[in-house]
Amino acid sequence: MKLDKIIAVRTAKTLYRDGNLAIKVFNEDFSKSDVLNEALNQSRVENTLLNVPQIHEVAKIDGKWAIVSDYIDGKTLTRLIEEEPSKKSALIAQMADIQLEINRQKVAKLNKHSEKMREKIDACGLNATVRYELLTRLRSLRNDEVLCHGDLTLSNIIIDNDGKPFIIDWSHATQGSAAADTARAYLRFRLAGYIDEADEYLDIYCEKANTPKQVIHKWFPIVAATQLAKGLETEYEFLSEWANVVEYE
Amino acid sequence: MGTTNHLVTDSPERLTDLIRSVRKAQEKFAEYPQEQVDKIFKAAALAASKHRIPLAQAAVAETGMGIVEDKVIKNHYASEYIYNAYRDTKTCGVIEEDTSFGIQKIAVPIGLVGAVIPTTNPTSTTIFKTLIALKTRNGIIISPHPRAKNCTTDAARIVLEAAVAAGAPEGIIGWIDVPSLDMTNMLMCESDIILATGGPGMVKAAYSSGKPALGVGSGNVPAVIDISADISLAVNSIIHSKTFDNGVICASEQAVIIPAEIYDTVKSKFANLGCHILSLDEAQAVRKTIVVNGSLNAKIVGQSAYNIAKLANVTVPENTKILIGEAESPELSEEFAHEKLSPVLAMYKATDWEHALYLADRLIINGGLGHTASLYVNTATEKEKIAQFSEKMKTCRIILNTPSSHGGIGDLYNFKMAPSLTLGCGTMGGNSVSENVGVKHLINIKTVAKRSENMLWVRVPEKVYIKRGALPVALDELKGKKRAFVVTDGFLFKSGFTKLITDKLDEIGVQHTTFANVAPDPTLACAREGAELMKSFEPDVIIAVGGGSPMDAAKIMWVLYEHPEVDFEDMAMRFSDIRKRIYTFPKMGEKAYFIAIPTTSGTGSEVTPFAVITDEKSGLKYPLADYELLPKMAIIDPNLHDNAPKGLTSASGIDALSHALEAYASMLATDYTDSLALRATKMIFEYLPSAYENGAADPVAREKMANAATIAGMAFANAFLGVCHSMAHKLGSFHRLPHGIANALMLSEVLRFNAEEVPPKMGTFSQYDHPHTLRRYAEIAEYLGLAGKNDDEKLESLIAKIEELKEEIGIKKTIADYGIEEKDFLDRLDDMSVQAFDDQCTGANPRYPLIAEIKQMYLNAYYGGVKA
Repeated sequence: MKLDKIIAVRTAKTLYRDGNLAIKVFNEDFSKSDVLNEALNQSRVENTLLNVPQIHEVAKIDGKWAIVSDYIDGKTLTRLIEEEPSKKSALIAQMADIQLEINRQKVAKLNKHSEKMREKIDACGLNATVRYELLTRLRSLRNDEVLCHGDLTLSNIIIDNDGKPFIIDWSHATQGSAAADTARAYLRFRLAGYIDEADEYLDIYCEKANTPKQVIHKWFPIVAATQLAKGLETEYEFLSEWANVVEYE
Repeated sequence: MGTTNHLVTDSPERLTDLIRSVRKAQEKFAEYPQEQVDKIFKAAALAASKHRIPLAQAAVAETGMGIVEDKVIKNHYASEYIYNAYRDTKTCGVIEEDTSFGIQKIAVPIGLVGAVIPTTNPTSTTIFKTLIALKTRNGIIISPHPRAKNCTTDAARIVLEAAVAAGAPEGIIGWIDVPSLDMTNMLMCESDIILATGGPGMVKAAYSSGKPALGVGSGNVPAVIDISADISLAVNSIIHSKTFDNGVICASEQAVIIPAEIYDTVKSKFANLGCHILSLDEAQAVRKTIVVNGSLNAKIVGQSAYNIAKLANVTVPENTKILIGEAESPELSEEFAHEKLSPVLAMYKATDWEHALYLADRLIINGGLGHTASLYVNTATEKEKIAQFSEKMKTCRIILNTPSSHGGIGDLYNFKMAPSLTLGCGTMGGNSVSENVGVKHLINIKTVAKRSENMLWVRVPEKVYIKRGALPVALDELKGKKRAFVVTDGFLFKSGFTKLITDKLDEIGVQHTTFANVAPDPTLACAREGAELMKSFEPDVIIAVGGGSPMDAAKIMWVLYEHPEVDFEDMAMRFSDIRKRIYTFPKMGEKAYFIAIPTTSGTGSEVTPFAVITDEKSGLKYPLADYELLPKMAIIDPNLHDNAPKGLTSASGIDALSHALEAYASMLATDYTDSLALRATKMIFEYLPSAYENGAADPVAREKMANAATIAGMAFANAFLGVCHSMAHKLGSFHRLPHGIANALMLSEVLRFNAEEVPPKMGTFSQYDHPHTLRRYAEIAEYLGLAGKNDDEKLESLIAKIEELKEEIGIKKTIADYGIEEKDFLDRLDDMSVQAFDDQCTGANPRYPLIAEIKQMYLNAYYGGVKA
């Protein structure tokens, strides 16, 4: 494997391309279990009807963990929008379709979304009162067991040269509620500064899914708190405002 | 405030210990008598009431919500009003007793109450729940909200200390010191009942814990101000309620809905009384402040209008009472349509009353199902609107002309609604109770029910005239009647029986017509024909003359004449208790007076509430039974009986004997019916042979038999019959045997069957305590002077006597003897047995017959002895 062609560099990982393969190399301090979990998630999702890059190998390269999978030759939705802004609405609608398609799948052995949320709420750093409200809310919401991507964004969808959409980055995949997954996607839009796009996405999704927006809204405080667990200073004020809401009497 | 030995509950392990110790205390408490419980309840209420101010201060300081002075009212309410409401309520031991019905109700505690306390009313809710738990001898563990844990536990501690000082077991009240959701859930799973006050999430958690929960839901109270309302009262009340404790009471108004006609007037009234009507821009800013992504912003709960405005960068005077946002949509996309738990009020302009109802309904559906709705209206003139509002709103409380915060909790502005800080929202709100929760929800009530006897009765026609020559004398009473309708059969008509009657009617000036077209086993068609004639003739008296057939047919004509709409299938529906039957028999006698004059001695129809009619199309027999069918007058004139043919004399005579014997054995027999049955039995044994043999030549026997049949009729009109008649009915209709003969063939079988001392199943009737029919038959034998050393022998003597009588009056021994073909009998035997089992007469039989047993009796009667 040749690691000379860098495609992307992220905080804790670097992506290389070697012919038809994409190699994701994690930094040395990256948790082994997270790497293996990501590979396991993705290989489980490979068994669904979704277009997902196939994993070929989990390896250790120069002391660093790496996941080797198909390289998808194509462009992310982010890139496509940049190139042709007039197609923005159509591409956002395509993402909503993909969201629906993901949430139609069932992958029984994945981690439970609600358990993951609970851990994240415990670790979100907000005070006990707010956490208590959030946990109460989490408990009361409907918990399905459909496939949740956990981090669906425009840049995690690649349209290959034949026009076929591939979904990448399954490190946060769980089984849970579609509404929670959608709320998470909405939040990611907002955090990226795409306010209008976020609303457009939610409108289109709710229309297509025949779901009231309130159902998605109910998850906002929870997904905000889980995002807080990442500890990003810049997002703190925004997220804590979203999380500090009540629902009583 | 310190308590001895208080261990801090801050972990699931500690909570397990706490649950164990509270349960232990409760076991002791469960033994306390009412007097002692009341003493503890009083002491606890007094202590809570004394601490109302420090507790209110602590709640506001800790939660940062609400107003001290208002929380003082709530604490006072939770102690004083609750004590007052339940001071004299019985909650221990026997709480109710009805000696005449033998019913006793005993209250026992439930055990451990798990109480979840909200942040908005922490101290008052704690006082309320601990007091009602004490009053009902329950243990209680409080799970506070983390935001209000100190003041909540303070309140619980005050109540506990006072209760213990007054004699309650140590540790009867417990609490979680360091709350967490896991411990709340654990408490809910371990309690015997959950009193969950909190948001939908908490209530749902309570319901899903698997333990019974008295949860309450969210309110989204709309207040509709009708054009008839007193506007000043309405606006002042809403402001008073909405500002109370900065709007945290769940029954507080969230939206005011005003018809267009008075909108501006009401709006300026609000403005004049210190409320701030938000401009469009201000409203937009407040919307974004109060609701974040569709959920209520925690920072505004229980805050003042001024502070909320400040958060939204809106400037209002510091003493502003309420922020009012004008809104159009009642849907949740409109932030003002949410429950706001603060002095922020939505204001809607309704085009008319219907629109106002629509808006209120939508607001409730969107956030306040089952809770409370409020209406301001002129109660004297707008009853219709109040009825519409009450019907349309899906809420458990409909509050009129009252501040809803104060109105919903009861006993402040209305005085028959239970005071409570836990308001049930019914199944509409996902709750198990739809009223204000109180002590009755924290006790189990055991009902001790003594065996009671059914009331019985004696019902006979108001007039029964007897003796030779009674007929014309009795008919004198018809003077003043206008038209008489006489029903009889062709034979009697031709024989001139009715002439006796019609001559008398002519004499007293009563017009008459005669229907003489009744055949044996009268049909519905025949009854309809007669009823048609009645319809045109319009009689005010009906006279039935003849045997069972004309009398039954006349009863049915009477029904069709007075109530042409009746459905015979419903009327004939089998009932298990005549007093509890589903069908209500129509009232009879409003058009015509009914007189029955028997010409045979057997059926008893002249004094019974029964009639049988056959639907000629389906072949179905409709046995009707109801005291409405009882004739008003019966005339027993032996002159009409003298010339009855032999066959009829024997068949009807033995029918009368089976009436008397079955009425005597019936579970519904009474001393009254017994004397009638015994006397009739004796007269029949004595006089039937001669009446049969000598006919008109023995007028005494004829008279005795005429009376015996009517007396037996009175007995079974009240005690009913049994399985002999059930089997005879079906045997008669399956194999065309005369009714009396069919009874005669089954009679001895039934006596042996009923006399069984250890039957597979006895009859079900409260006063029928054990199978005692052998003794009953022995009593008959004794009354008849029959020999026998013991009851078994007496029974055999009685049976022998019956068989002897049958022989004397020419009745054959077996069903086979009557020429019923064996194959046909056996082929239809199963069907006949099932139908006999389902006959109306079976219900009163002292031994509950199994279908196979009926079948066996039929077989025995067919072959004349036990035959498998």
